[in-house]
Amino acid sequence: MARAAAPRTFRDAQATYRTNGELAWWVFMRVSGFLLVFLTFGHLWANNMAFNAGQIDFDYVASRLAQPSVKVYDSFLLLFALLHGVNGLRYSIEDYIQRPQRRVAAKVALFTVAGIVFVLGVMALWTFSFSEMGDAVRALNE
Amino acid sequence: MYRGREGQWAFVLHRMSGVALALFLLLHVIDISLVMWGPDGPFNAFLAFYHQWPFRVGLVVVIAGVVYHALNGLRIIMMDFTTWGVKYQAPLWYGVLGLTTLIGIPVLWKIVPEILGIA
Ligand code: HEM
Ligand code: HEM
Repeated sequence: MARAAAPRTFRDAQATYRTNGELAWWVFMRVSGFLLVFLTFGHLWANNMAFNAGQIDFDYVASRLAQPSVKVYDSFLLLFALLHGVNGLRYSIEDYIQRPQRRVAAKVALFTVAGIVFVLGVMALWTFSFSEMGDAVRALNE
Repeated sequence: MYRGREGQWAFVLHRMSGVALALFLLLHVIDISLVMWGPDGPFNAFLAFYHQWPFRVGLVVVIAGVVYHALNGLRIIMMDFTTWGVKYQAPLWYGVLGLTTLIGIPVLWKIVPEILGIA
């Protein structure tokens, strides 16, 4: 189904989507979009306005990721932005790629990449203790 | 009625910014995750590469994309969940463009001097 003219009201959406799955995604795009306004603006503020983005380096990121609040914040940003963005890319694939085989191939590729990126992102946030890692590396160099 | 009018431009820009942001996000998470290799890993070399001016300009475009997509997303949500949203979709869109420009001014004020190396 071409999505170019997206349904305009909740009742429209209910009538348009045959499955509850698509209706759930329609609602999710709006709820996550609303939350992402705050998550992305806060993130851009921290890294572009409160800091010079041209000076981001390991020490800066380690100092940020050593804070539990930043880890939790970034986890929500990662989860919502990735689900919202990947579902949005899926809409575009369904609009522009008509041949069934190519469509499936494009979606498999997209979901694979997204899955790998999600795992990498979660690992970067949670599997290292950046304060300890910094100390350990400093101890090695002493 | 629809083609070439505000609604279509709003949609095209929303889709372009959304797709661009999603692709940026995939790359962004991969490059930030390079911190896992520690201070002597590839992270600093990578970031130094990204600090070259064409990429800094790219980040400004990303910021503009987020602001437009976010505000226009709120416009879409208003059209979907209020009784008056669709009626005022065109003026709302000019509001989105105006606010995006307004937010852009302090952002450019802060970042352009950094890129030019005079901050
Ligand atoms: C900042 C707050 C954001 C808001 C308020 C927002 C809102 C929306 C809304 C309402 C839609 C329409 C969904 C539909 O047609 O059912 C949408 C689509 C989309 N969004 Fe967002 N979004 C935001 C952030 C993001 C981010 C960070 C990304 C990228 C990672 C993104 C990527 C997309 C994509 C790719 C689409 C599909 C475009 C299309 O179908 O034309 N959005 N967004
Ligand atoms: C355009 C300028 C941007 C800059 C300079 C920037 C910078 C950074 C930095 C320094 C980090 C490391 C952790 C932290 O400081 O929070 C980070 C992480 C992150 N950023 Fe951004 N960011 C930008 C835009 C965005 C946008 C638009 C999004 C969402 C669509 C985003 C999503 C994320 C996520 C999800 C993480 C966590 C990565 C992980 O899980 O390892 N960023 N960013």
